[in-house]
Amino acid sequence: MPTVTMTVNGKQVSGEVEPRTLLVEFLREGLGLTGTHVGCDTSQCGCCVVHVDGRSVKACTMLAVQAEGAEVTTIEGLAADGSLHPLQQAFHENHGLQCGFCTPGMIMSSLELLQRNPDPSEAEVREWLEGNLCRCTGYHNIVKSVLAAAAAMRGAARAAE
Amino acid sequence: MHIYERPRDLETALALLAEGDWQVMAGGTDIYPARVDRPLERPLLDITAIEALHGIEETGEGYRLGACLRWSELRDRPLPPIFDGLRKAAATIGGRQIQNRATLGGNLCNASPAADGIPVLMALEAVVELRSLRGVRRIPLVDFVRGNRCTALAPDELLTAVLLPRPRGRSRTTFLKLGSRAHLVISITMIALALDCDPAGRILRAGVAVGACAPTARRLPLLESRLLGRDLAEPLATAVDTAVLAPLAPIDDIRGTAAYRRRATLVLLRRGLAELATPLRGAA
Ligand SMILES: Cc1cc2nc3c(=O)[nH]c(=O)nc-3n(C[C@H](O)[C@H](O)[C@H](O)COP(=O)(O)OP(=O)(O)OC[C@H]3O[C@@H](n4cnc5c(N)ncnc54)[C@H](O)[C@@H]3O)c2cc1C
Ligand code: FES
Ligand code: FES
Repeated sequence: MPTVTMTVNGKQVSGEVEPRTLLVEFLREGLGLTGTHVGCDTSQCGCCVVHVDGRSVKACTMLAVQAEGAEVTTIEGLAADGSLHPLQQAFHENHGLQCGFCTPGMIMSSLELLQRNPDPSEAEVREWLEGNLCRCTGYHNIVKSVLAAAAAMRGAARAAE
Repeated sequence: MHIYERPRDLETALALLAEGDWQVMAGGTDIYPARVDRPLERPLLDITAIEALHGIEETGEGYRLGACLRWSELRDRPLPPIFDGLRKAAATIGGRQIQNRATLGGNLCNASPAADGIPVLMALEAVVELRSLRGVRRIPLVDFVRGNRCTALAPDELLTAVLLPRPRGRSRTTFLKLGSRAHLVISITMIALALDCDPAGRILRAGVAVGACAPTARRLPLLESRLLGRDLAEPLATAVDTAVLAPLAPIDDIRGTAAYRRRATLVLLRRGLAELATPLRGAA
């Protein structure tokens, strides 16, 4: 079997995979990173979103071998030094989840938005999350959480200046 | 053992295609969801590492878009107004995380009747470039898309680029689609308009295409000829009536009836024309 090598959450990892193994299967079953969820089999739900070279993608529409040499970030890679990422903190504080199944994907999708646009409007957040489905919350608190995280991250950036 | 190749240059990819039966894969966003419960069996030829299939280039004749251009790249780059319609289509395809993988070439080769990229490119009179070891062919997109999921692509060929002819004047383009919600739905109908105007706003060329209302997207020649020579400042919506829909053959299905598709198409055409009647921005 071919060996695939990539950087996941800052650490270089390699593994032998059948070429048709999806990236999400490699992350979950090969590396034990089960924070990336699988909620559908048609690339609709967005539970499996991770970052590949800085872009949010559905890890169920990509093969592990296609991530050869790539920088992959999963939800497990966000918290630093024992403290939650501002997006994780904001979802916690704003009741942005109920069962939590969609949350890793919601956060990983939102992260790319905030990296590109530190001050998105509510409409921009909603549009960006079109490909992330939630069966519990009705989305309002998810959007509120992302906007709160954006404000917190802007505040932190100003404080650092 | 399942086989996967990801060549870096076009010649290698074309040589592999000439020898064997490969499933060509770009973003994979049409391939995977279509195979629910069935493993990928054919050897996979991943074409996304081929540099020559990427990027947007301005040429003497117009623009050349690489087949592996991702929809999000089209959205994120500053581009002239000729791309406005294509960018609007890009923004409606599958949500951001799909746009980060899905490609222009994949949308055309998959040739779904509801492919959102096709009507805009037809209205712009796009030409597709197909390559194999046997040589290169350039054929109009209208002739490339032959039917529902049926194209003129030969088994040993790759679609390498989409060529847009230079507009004859200032270009104004738009795209409107109707679905049961804004994103991640299969369109009920969609329309694309591409008008080239002289500096005074007189229409020199009109391209109009409709998707999801026939096995392939169709142009509307009667409406195009009615728009020629008219002024953008006139109420152009009066050019739209049921007669212009003659090339369409919409069906009744779970998403809407044929009659509803016709009505909705008329509304979208009028809305699109009204949108393009607003003041010109920039050149070409
Ligand atoms: C959740 C979801 C939502 C979607 N929403 C939309 C939507 O709103 N509108 C829409 O139009 N589409 C939509 N799609 C479909 C799909 O994303 C697009 O059609 C996309 O552009 C396909 O590109 P790809 O690179 O992923 O194609 P792939 O899946 O890689 O390929 C599709 C087909 O084209 C062939 N192919 C690809 N590139 C080439 C090439 N250069 N030369 C020869 N053959 C080639 C492949 O062999 C395959 O048969 C959606 C898909 C998903 C999963
Ligand atoms: S698991 Fe549903 S989009 Fe990937
Ligand atoms: S919190 Fe349950 S699916 Fe979103």
